[in-house]
Amino acid sequence: MSDYAIIAENLTYYYGNLIAVDHIDFKVARGEILGFLGPNGAGKTTTINILTGQMKPKGGRAILLGIDVAEDVKKVKGDIGVCFETINLYEQMTAIENLNLFARLFGIKSFDVSALLNRVGLGGRGKDRVETYSKGMKQRLMVARSIVNQPQILFLDEPTAGLDPTSSLAIHNIIIQERNRGATVFLTTHDMVEADKLSDRVAFMNQGKIVALDTPLNLKQQYGKRALTAKVLMSGGRLEDREIALDTADTPGSIKELFANEKIVTVHSKEATLEDIFIKITGRGLIE
Amino acid sequence: MNIHIIGILISKDLSLFFRKRAILLLTLMGFIFYLVIYFVMPSTVDENLEIGLYSPVPLPIFNQVEEEGLEISPLESEELLKEAVLDGSYVAGISIPADVVEKLDSKQKPVISLYFTPDAPQELKDAMETIVRELVFMQTGHPLAFEVSEEILGQDLTGTPIPPRDRLRPLLAIFILMMEILGLSNLISEEIERRTARALLVTPATVTDIFVAKSIFGIGLAFIQAVLIMTIIGGMNKQPLIVLISLLLGAELATGISFLISARARDFMSVLAWSVPFLIILIIPSFTILFPGAVTGWIKIIPTYYLVDTVHRAVNFGSGWGDIWINLLILFGFTVVIFYAGLYMLRRKFR
Repeated sequence: MSDYAIIAENLTYYYGNLIAVDHIDFKVARGEILGFLGPNGAGKTTTINILTGQMKPKGGRAILLGIDVAEDVKKVKGDIGVCFETINLYEQMTAIENLNLFARLFGIKSFDVSALLNRVGLGGRGKDRVETYSKGMKQRLMVARSIVNQPQILFLDEPTAGLDPTSSLAIHNIIIQERNRGATVFLTTHDMVEADKLSDRVAFMNQGKIVALDTPLNLKQQYGKRALTAKVLMSGGRLEDREIALDTADTPGSIKELFANEKIVTVHSKEATLEDIFIKITGRGLIE
Repeated sequence: MNIHIIGILISKDLSLFFRKRAILLLTLMGFIFYLVIYFVMPSTVDENLEIGLYSPVPLPIFNQVEEEGLEISPLESEELLKEAVLDGSYVAGISIPADVVEKLDSKQKPVISLYFTPDAPQELKDAMETIVRELVFMQTGHPLAFEVSEEILGQDLTGTPIPPRDRLRPLLAIFILMMEILGLSNLISEEIERRTARALLVTPATVTDIFVAKSIFGIGLAFIQAVLIMTIIGGMNKQPLIVLISLLLGAELATGISFLISARARDFMSVLAWSVPFLIILIIPSFTILFPGAVTGWIKIIPTYYLVDTVHRAVNFGSGWGDIWINLLILFGFTVVIFYAGLYMLRRKFR
């Protein structure tokens, strides 16, 4: 049995002349959470579609749990769960009916639907039609549906986009619980804080290519700048910001000068965010 | 193909279908409306014969026979008489030649023309000839030697008189089948546009499973409704096997058209927009049963003509396999082509 749940080898896909996934290679270990980051149109969803067997790659291979997806997608379908970017529930059905339908499709005979609904905070609304739910509730139900078969690999495509903090937190908890259960999680998101908090490793995708892949800490150490930020009191009671880059030859002198010459109100250390690093690597922001 | 999964998908479609209030209301209202129409239509043929008469010479006796079940109305010209018969104002027309007196005087046989509606039965034609001879006898007091010429205006659909409500049977069957296009198209287009089909495809369900389930669901729903209404209105009393096969092919045809519409439509309004032209065209042949004189050759390019004509002949005339096998064969051909065209288009959309 391979140590890797997901292996992408030279994976390629193009729409006409437009290359969406450009010969990418990566591996995701079993039980790992991989954050897959990139702006709209970077190729994240196309990559998920290939990995989950919804699209056949134009080149390369996608291997899930040791099985080439393009050759035998049926074999892996029972072991994966997918939460789509757009809500695609049967809205005229209740939450319980939605979950039961998918459980039956996965061939699950005995299934505690109430427990799953409780996990996503929908315990009291299971018998209501989905069309009466808020966006956050629908998204939590989407996540519940994706884990109905207790998948070995969980694909989550922007699961918290546009949600309130409570719903986002509920979904974060589910992701962590699933990882703790032993599932591998492939997570695409725009939320850098979410990616930083949840991911064991993050991959930056830009224009169809993976431009960086490492743990958030390593990326920050490799690409990020640490700094000291201070608010200083100026004449007339006005506040101004001061920033001193750390880890340079001038740093000690600059700090000494700051404390000697300015009236400091607050002082903090500052780390680079994943977004800073993404911009540094690609020259573009995540949300464009 | 997984039978278990197909069963789950069919039950899901059934459940969703009955939760769509607009579609359910349309289906139920249609069903009730068709039955009401059927039962309010006269169940017997009007036995009072309305006959048009063109006579350049005065024949008073022709105006004195109304109490005997004949209503004879004079018309001013032979052309007007023909038009009136053709548009169904009269079941028959009598045209007396202008030279009738001269010919009788010179011992020649005048020719009295009788005009009939296209579906006038032979009994009526025979009766009309007898009536004319009787009236002439009553007018002159002795039998006269004259010839009778019969002319059918429009296409001749000789047969037994059919009560108006029985003429509705094929029309109602086709209405039920074709209205199902709306419901099924909406169900499928929603599945695509709301991307629920994608959610199904990441489970062990395959595209084939989904298509087989949709086909069974669509054909089954349309077929069961059509059979139900035909049973209630007595459409299964004659040649039930032929009627069942026709309805099954009709249901498959409707499902194929639903696939075609679903491949193009995005929401309920676009389903309506695409369906209405299809419905209008497909329902046209059923009116040929109500108004037989309107049949023209081009109508045979509409697939439902063969469905309507088969059901009409089997239900109202008891026609057997020998009479309608060509119809069924052509209907089968149309159905196969349209069904697979629909499948092909929908598969492309799924990709």
